[in-house]
Amino acid sequence: MDQFRELQESCPLKNQECPVIDELRRLKEDCKRLQELSQTDALTGYFNFRYLLSALEGEMERTQRTGLFTSLVMIDLDYFKQINDTYGHESGNKALQWSTDIWRENIRRIDIACRYGGEEFAIILPGTRLPRAVHVAERLRIALADSPVELDGELVRLTASFGVDVYKGRENLSAKAFIERTDRFVFEGKAKGRNCVCFEEKEIAVVPTGVTDEEKKALFNNPIGLKSERDNSKGFL
Amino acid sequence: MARMKTPVTLCVTSGKGGVGKTSIAVNLAFALVQKGQRVLVVDGDLGLANVDVLLRLSVQRTICDVLDSGADPLESVIYLEESLGILPASSGVPEMVTLGPEEQAQLGEVLTSIMSHFDYVLVDTAAGIGPSVLWFNRFVDHNIILLSPDPTSFTDAYALIKILSRDYDRDYFYVVFNLVSSEREGRQSYKILEGVVNKFLDVDIEYLGAIPQDKVIHKAVREQLPFVQQAPQSNAARAVFDLADRIRMLKEKQD
Ligand SMILES: Nc1ncnc2c1ncn2[C@@H]1O[C@H](COP(=O)(O)OP(=O)(O)O)[C@@H](O)[C@H]1O
Ligand SMILES: [Mg+2]
Repeated sequence: MDQFRELQESCPLKNQECPVIDELRRLKEDCKRLQELSQTDALTGYFNFRYLLSALEGEMERTQRTGLFTSLVMIDLDYFKQINDTYGHESGNKALQWSTDIWRENIRRIDIACRYGGEEFAIILPGTRLPRAVHVAERLRIALADSPVELDGELVRLTASFGVDVYKGRENLSAKAFIERTDRFVFEGKAKGRNCVCFEEKEIAVVPTGVTDEEKKALFNNPIGLKSERDNSKGFL
Repeated sequence: MARMKTPVTLCVTSGKGGVGKTSIAVNLAFALVQKGQRVLVVDGDLGLANVDVLLRLSVQRTICDVLDSGADPLESVIYLEESLGILPASSGVPEMVTLGPEEQAQLGEVLTSIMSHFDYVLVDTAAGIGPSVLWFNRFVDHNIILLSPDPTSFTDAYALIKILSRDYDRDYFYVVFNLVSSEREGRQSYKILEGVVNKFLDVDIEYLGAIPQDKVIHKAVREQLPFVQQAPQSNAARAVFDLADRIRMLKEKQD
């Protein structure tokens, strides 16, 4: 392993085969493995809740320092209990893996995908504004809804409800509170009939174009008439 | 980074979606290639179905992969023909544009170095006036506003010109009408736009031409083929060839 090469070379006796260094390397590898284990969810390979909290805190701090927004997407699989009841826990697990694999393919490498618990997930999108995050959530929603999974020999269409929110660094907010705030949009989605993306609509204001009434009038009240009478006598035809 | 050669860079924008940006950009590219030019189409639309779908491409490497691995940026270009390159949608460009100023500068450098291998660069942008659309419009030398004689397209195009001039110092725009029923309709519509722009904005606009509504386009899209190749005698194709001629005059002016 390249990353331990330095270790190898640090033997004060310059021995090629140094038992102390070998042991040290084993310990370092163990440590890395344990660290990974303590951060990831075994079933889905996503980061676990603990990691979610610390990573989100870190990103929110970065937002405060750099002004780059942090977006959060919370996801809850729809009708998961029914899937478990109908097809059994094995299939329930398969559904979780299926969904998380699909989402993983549809996010960037810098995004942080976590299992929040049960059938709920959180994806941190660093340096991302709300419209872009909503776009991503919409892509994840469609990707899952478009790829049915085979459970117990039956093709089942899975869907999920998404909540999206953004942290702009203007208020002091804990990672937990940010998660809860975003989670409210997931509930809103469930109430709206599931398989949808919810967010604070008024946050996505269209860029103010400032086309004034006077300009609009000029664009439309012209002597020729915008939709001019069709003229097929000349020109292209 | 010094540019080895200076290609003519153009961006096709409309404000509104479905006006024909992708169709026109791609076919214009084929038309320029037929006249012996080397052309790069940059797919600046994050939309799921775009240039790559229109032309049945499968994307191997994205510009982000290339940046990460430090490889030659030219590797993210897909060549459809010897002189026709596509820098695809999933290239991650639009995501990068929402990142910080350093990444934007890096992206600009990479694009510039890729572009130096071509005579013309055509950027097909997304709908709307999001950050990536504005970024590409500032990045290129020439802005083509594509619109149709339909009222929403008209307002959106006007709004786009207004924003780009007010917030981004652009003061010259080329105007192309799509989906017209006759050449005359294109000219009349342009006159109206010109009147309003001259009255309210401090910019100059220039009429580059009009593309008629033509069913060959739908057919070409269904078959994932450019209509300038599939139906070169059609009205739409002839109009695109005319447009290509006018764009080549831009190059002569620039050189
Ligand atoms: N001149 C035209 N005549 C007929 N159909 C057209 C014409 N231009 C574009 N279209 C059709 O309009 C639709 C939208 O075109 P597209 O190029 O995808 O627009 P945009 O990229 O602006 O969203 C497509 O189905 C295309 O085939
Ligand atoms: Mg398009």
